[in-house]
Amino acid sequence: MRNHFVSLFPSHAERGPSPSRRRVVFLTVLLLLAGLCSLGVIRVVHADSLPQVHLNADSIGPRPIEELTGHNVTRDYANAWRDLAQALEKDQPDLLNAYFTGFAKDALLKKISEQKKTGVHTRYVDHGHQLKAFFYAPDGGEMQLLDKAQMEEQILDGDKVIHRENSTQQYLVLMTPGADRWFVRSLEPVPASFGQ
Amino acid sequence: MRTITHLMLSVLLAAMASAADLRPPAQVTAGSAFSISSSGSGDATFYLVGPSHVLKRQVKLGQAIAVDGDHVQTSGRYLAIACGSDGCSSAPFYVVAGEPDRLSFLLHPSRVPVSRGDAINATAFVFDKFRNLVLKPVTVDFRITPKTGAPFTKTVKSDRGVAWMKMASTPKEGPVKVIATVASAAEPRIIQQVASDACNLRIRASRTAKSVLIETDPVRDCSGNAVPDGTIVSFTAIDSNGKTTVDAPIKKGVARAELPLTGGARISVASGVVIGNEITVGGRS
Repeated sequence: MRNHFVSLFPSHAERGPSPSRRRVVFLTVLLLLAGLCSLGVIRVVHADSLPQVHLNADSIGPRPIEELTGHNVTRDYANAWRDLAQALEKDQPDLLNAYFTGFAKDALLKKISEQKKTGVHTRYVDHGHQLKAFFYAPDGGEMQLLDKAQMEEQILDGDKVIHRENSTQQYLVLMTPGADRWFVRSLEPVPASFGQ
Repeated sequence: MRTITHLMLSVLLAAMASAADLRPPAQVTAGSAFSISSSGSGDATFYLVGPSHVLKRQVKLGQAIAVDGDHVQTSGRYLAIACGSDGCSSAPFYVVAGEPDRLSFLLHPSRVPVSRGDAINATAFVFDKFRNLVLKPVTVDFRITPKTGAPFTKTVKSDRGVAWMKMASTPKEGPVKVIATVASAAEPRIIQQVASDACNLRIRASRTAKSVLIETDPVRDCSGNAVPDGTIVSFTAIDSNGKTTVDAPIKKGVARAELPLTGGARISVASGVVIGNEITVGGRS
């Protein structure tokens, strides 16, 4: 019994490394753990963080945009892209409920349903959006925008990446106001020549 | 020698086994069947990934890959991907909306006062039969039919799928029908024009035993439309006891109120921001 204690808690004389060396080992392990944790934290923050969205409403018409409206559109469009990326990567249609409606939501729901059937899914690594608002209906009921999105698109079949592309993609966006937020009603990828 | 031959064969096979080349059309109309030509040989997995669609099936490389129109009903960017034994290759292409077939039409507001400039807003979104926004410019007609007077049409070219216009309300109250049309699609909406503010608001008074009965002339706006029943008219009397205000709704075109006045008083009338005439009762003219 005594031997067990000895082996588990060796006496000072039996201990190999000196206290200073143990301190170094302990600190190294601590630093490694901290590093791993920080990487994990960074990943979590990255997954949940909002994409960068910059709105340019210099050429909007016929209705001018109020500063608060511009702020809300920017915020809600960023939220919409965060949800879209997560919904498509995790095949979770519920994530589209907060910021998508109408045709945009229907199309994405259909895509997620077919992703589930085929085992293929899409992953976006979002590098930011340059949003240009050009139409704001006179009654304030609809806003049309053109988004130049910088992103990496990965198509995966199961865990295997079958396509990877880092590009600038243009989207024609229609947003409509709800009770407390702006919804993405239409999100259509358009060629780079569009709008020029 | 055998090793060298094996090495050369391997290099040759590796060179031949480059990833298959896919050549989709640059542009496809939504809902139209098409084919993608491919190079290479052997079996491959073909993927078609679009805005609302994901297709996966086996194909033979070196042959045309037929794609049904059902798989490209949503406009936008698609990726065709083929994965064979030697890796994957991909090619993007765009699906564009077909001919205009549907309209989404918004007309605001639902009620509007007569003769008000730029008070009516009409916005129409042009879609094809698969509900893709038609981005090429198309002509949208807004046909306006007032309750009285001749119908007229405003023609607008759509810009990036949207056609909109503003117009003044017409001088006569009643329903105004606006029909937005593009190709064979027509979307009607009705807007109710109501009388504007009262104009030339006038009152007259008659004395009873214990009070004064005040009554307006028929309340009309400046275009002669009857101001709707229920609109509030305020009567204010100032006499030796101070100021008294009575609100009365218009009923059958006129507003009435009975003011408990025994002595002389000055009575005025107002409706909204409009002030009418002022009269004096009690022997002082």
